Amino acid sequence: MNDVQRSVTSAFTIAEMEARKIRHDSTELWMRAVQPALWLLIFGEVFNTVRGLAPGGLNYMQYITPGVLAQSVLFVAIFYGITIVWERDVGLLTKLLSTPSPRISVVVGKALAAGVRGIFQGVMIFALALIIGVNIRFDPLDVLGVFLVVVLFAMCFASLSMTLASFLKTRDRMMGIGQAITIPLFFGSNAIYPVSLMPPWLQAISTYNPLTYVVDAMRAMLLTGDYSGLPVDIAALLISTVFFILCASALLKRLIQ
Amino acid sequence: MHAIEVGSLTKVYPDGTKAVNDVSFSVEEGEIFGLLGPNGAGKTTTIKMITTLATPTAGTIRVFGADALRSPQEVRQMLGFVPQAISVDGDLTGYENLLIFAKLFFVDREQRKKRIQDALNYFGLAERANDLVKHYSGGMMRRLEIAQALVNRPKLLFLDEPSIGLDPYSRKQVIEQVKQLNQEFGTTIFITTHDMAEADELCDRLAIMNLGRIAISGAPRDLKKMVGGDVLSVTLSGRMPKDLPTELGSVVSSEGGVIKVLTPDGEKAIPRVTDYLERSGAVVESVSLSRPTLEDVFMKYAKAPLQTEGTYQEARSARRSIVRHGK
Repeated sequence: MNDVQRSVTSAFTIAEMEARKIRHDSTELWMRAVQPALWLLIFGEVFNTVRGLAPGGLNYMQYITPGVLAQSVLFVAIFYGITIVWERDVGLLTKLLSTPSPRISVVVGKALAAGVRGIFQGVMIFALALIIGVNIRFDPLDVLGVFLVVVLFAMCFASLSMTLASFLKTRDRMMGIGQAITIPLFFGSNAIYPVSLMPPWLQAISTYNPLTYVVDAMRAMLLTGDYSGLPVDIAALLISTVFFILCASALLKRLIQ
Repeated sequence: MHAIEVGSLTKVYPDGTKAVNDVSFSVEEGEIFGLLGPNGAGKTTTIKMITTLATPTAGTIRVFGADALRSPQEVRQMLGFVPQAISVDGDLTGYENLLIFAKLFFVDREQRKKRIQDALNYFGLAERANDLVKHYSGGMMRRLEIAQALVNRPKLLFLDEPSIGLDPYSRKQVIEQVKQLNQEFGTTIFITTHDMAEADELCDRLAIMNLGRIAISGAPRDLKKMVGGDVLSVTLSGRMPKDLPTELGSVVSSEGGVIKVLTPDGEKAIPRVTDYLERSGAVVESVSLSRPTLEDVFMKYAKAPLQTEGTYQEARSARRSIVRHGK
């Protein structure tokens, strides 16, 4: 086996490890579905009465569904840094790093696991959208595309979170930074309102916000069917994912030193 | 070829504390080598550097000829590592813990199943293989960890404080299994501990580390000889002799019907000394023999410098390490 094959096999092994844990105890996954459900059922329903909030003739429930999906995946992914700090604390990380598996595979494996959780979030939100009758284009290819974006996005932020963990090193600090990152990203994106409603300075920031691109891609596939922005969205996401995976792999060792 | 060859190994932390200071030693293939020392002596840092988990500031490390700095993955492929803190995953079953590690060590699919089954049987975990590890006892977790390090069939096994936090029975089991591994499969074992009895029982050779340096190394028996001979305490009635012939040993003290004799080999001296005393008119009531233990060696080489030579910096480094590794 060459290095690339080894990295890929090991990454899937790490992801398998996480998947097996979820299989033994999936309580957390169900709990994680509560928050997006509340966003849709309460926030969505209330703001649905406001006319003209969503552009392009969409109703607000339609508009917010991709946003809520992206946000819930973000929340799942951003806490992977805490998981890895916890694994460091109990000695699991040391053990993983003492195997001949390449470091990058630990990061990619964890990131993939975040992706699996993200897919679960997606399934839950789609199910809820169906139940409450949100009008979404359930085209199989589009749904598949959304899941791909979900996985990439989860991988991107799980890696970012692991990168931060290698600097911050404690769970308490990671909890703090998790909150400090997710909320501005969420409100500084097009997840729950269009960018055009933002003040100019926030509009400028939202251009650099990966969440904006993710939500844009999801909206294109689930609602508008206008794929013109898709290449840029995917490229932006792909570049940041690779960047953060490389950062986290290079810095992971800091955690055990 | 040496199993491990370490030359002038040094680790300086970013704040300037020298955790490991110019350490050189080698471990022979097939032996059980112990690295002893007080908390914060630099044992764990040394292990981390050999297992390629930490990068040395200076020095060389070879594991079965492979350069640990140049080809860390090759080195990791050869070794099994059981860290100080229990590191099995409580949210997985015993079987899954072994499966994941077999995969991470790239064990062939055909061999995987057999090796896992062997390891489970060998460590007496087969019956609980499908239970979540968080429901295991501490001793079982420790055994599972060693099993995990072995699915790889490593040539070299590192055990960092393997018996910490175990009850005496589990501890004994773990020690027996480590010994067996060494004898049956010829696995070279590198162990750190501050349990002197354990080190004495297990190790072919050991080194005592203190304040980042190796204070002394050798076979336990030779080390014990270095701190002095055996002491015979003979309780007598009747005539107390003032002196003994020099070939029997030297009298350390003689009062209250008890005579203490320092002698290089206590067991051989017992019949000769009692014989001499009885012939010279005393009645021997009891004889007891006390031999120097590894603890005496440890106290002599590991404790003294802390009070005499240790600088403030070094003491701080020791404290920091305790904090860092404390659970």
